[in-house]
Amino acid sequence: MTQQTLEIRRSSASLWGEKTGMRHLPVVSKYIDTTTCIGCKACEVACQEWNDLETVSTQQVGTYQTMPTLDADFWNLIRFNEQEFDGGVVWLMRKDQCMHCEDPGCLAACPAPGAIVQYENGIVDVNPEKCIGCGYCETGCPFDVPRFHAKTGKMAKCTLCVDRVSVGLEPACIKACPTGCLHFGTKEDMVALGNSRVEQLKANGLAQAALYDPPGVGGTGVVTVLAHGNHPEWYGLPADPHVPLTVRVWKSVLRPLGIFAIFGSVIAAFAHFMTEGPKEVKEAEGEGPRSP
Amino acid sequence: MSAVAPQTSLGVAAMARVREDVVVGQEIVRHRLSSRALHWTVASFFFLSLLSGLPIWTPIFGWMAALLGGLSVCRWLHPWAGVLFVVSSLAMFLHWRRDMRLLPSDREWLRPRKVVQYMTHQGDDPDVGKYNGGQKLFFFATALGALGLLLSGVVLWFPLTFPRLLMAASILLHDLTFILFAVAIVFHIYLGTAALPGTFGSMIRGTVTKAWARLHHPGWYRDVTGEGTRRT
Repeated sequence: MTQQTLEIRRSSASLWGEKTGMRHLPVVSKYIDTTTCIGCKACEVACQEWNDLETVSTQQVGTYQTMPTLDADFWNLIRFNEQEFDGGVVWLMRKDQCMHCEDPGCLAACPAPGAIVQYENGIVDVNPEKCIGCGYCETGCPFDVPRFHAKTGKMAKCTLCVDRVSVGLEPACIKACPTGCLHFGTKEDMVALGNSRVEQLKANGLAQAALYDPPGVGGTGVVTVLAHGNHPEWYGLPADPHVPLTVRVWKSVLRPLGIFAIFGSVIAAFAHFMTEGPKEVKEAEGEGPRSP
Repeated sequence: MSAVAPQTSLGVAAMARVREDVVVGQEIVRHRLSSRALHWTVASFFFLSLLSGLPIWTPIFGWMAALLGGLSVCRWLHPWAGVLFVVSSLAMFLHWRRDMRLLPSDREWLRPRKVVQYMTHQGDDPDVGKYNGGQKLFFFATALGALGLLLSGVVLWFPLTFPRLLMAASILLHDLTFILFAVAIVFHIYLGTAALPGTFGSMIRGTVTKAWARLHHPGWYRDVTGEGTRRT
């Protein structure tokens, strides 16, 4: 996180006025072509180096995958999936990281003002200064990305190299990719590039090829070309991701109702006092119990 | 409930330290010191939990975090305050459970028509004992609420230990339980202060006047003083 204070579009747990928006920036996106990824992991190393993340022990999970899942100190992971297909096996590699959703579930779930922000260019970022490490963002993310950093007590995830992007550089992972399966640019350009690649794949016999840019979260800041676009789950991607209903119910229904109920009960008590008044002891009643 | 108190040389305050349900002069001890201390211990931890929890719940109450030293302090403090609240609530539950046993007359008291009568100060029930049906309902509802807050709160305390679905469910349960709890507490405070004059003192000095007892808890008044017909 760098303080991109002139460019904040949305901010967590904010009621009003979180949008600074002094600059108008085009929405950016990564482009990932899983069909040309060779699983070299250069992007993993570049991410570790640029972001100065601590070395995490690798873990043998029976494939070439570095570790089973993302880590608070490991934001970019190539997933290796083997899938039975057409009488054989296809070997699918996908770069897993924060998807930088247009409608970020982590931001919706976060209770700490300004701890998760979305910049004008669509990058979703954690501000560790304001993060309280509650882990609610985990429940909001449909891609299971944010991780709790036990040492700092904060959440951590890919920043889309906002520090590089804001000075006109491409993210470290993109810079390191040797095959050109990774690109970076405006969302518009990346979608156009993805669509042309999908057409190319279809022309080459991969009829199910598709560009993964799920509309359920308003599209993502990472568009992914999938050869088996009808089976995103083969790549470990949810078929139709949404901000979880529980988060929506909690933030949009339960919380406003609750605030209304609490203030309402105070008003109700006050109204009762004004109309009925206190139930006072009448001293003139005399001794002895009142007859039933 | 004990029978009529022997007249002793102890003053009201001294008597109110050790015994309850006894007559001292024109007053009756309603809550002895241990009862009051427990009540205010629970109340203190409740308000500490409230102050540290509300700013996490919604930014409308964000200013409360400043009272405690910031939102990160709240995130650390809230679970511990909550545990202390639940532990003291358990002690209070055990302390009061005998007095709170539900009787057929309580069920009668809780019928909607009767509740409306109570709210409009009409038709007092001559058999109301030390606690009426509403108070007993509040007692058990808050005990259940404390349990719900504890179970869901533990899950939220350790976000990495539990499956995501359980965590999401716990957020909703913690929210819902809190909202119902908060509404109940608002009415509890109102009834204990402005609505029923003389009641707040029973939780401070421990005593109420005989007239208060006759009006609000006639059955209890008869039991304690031995005056009038005893409740069967």
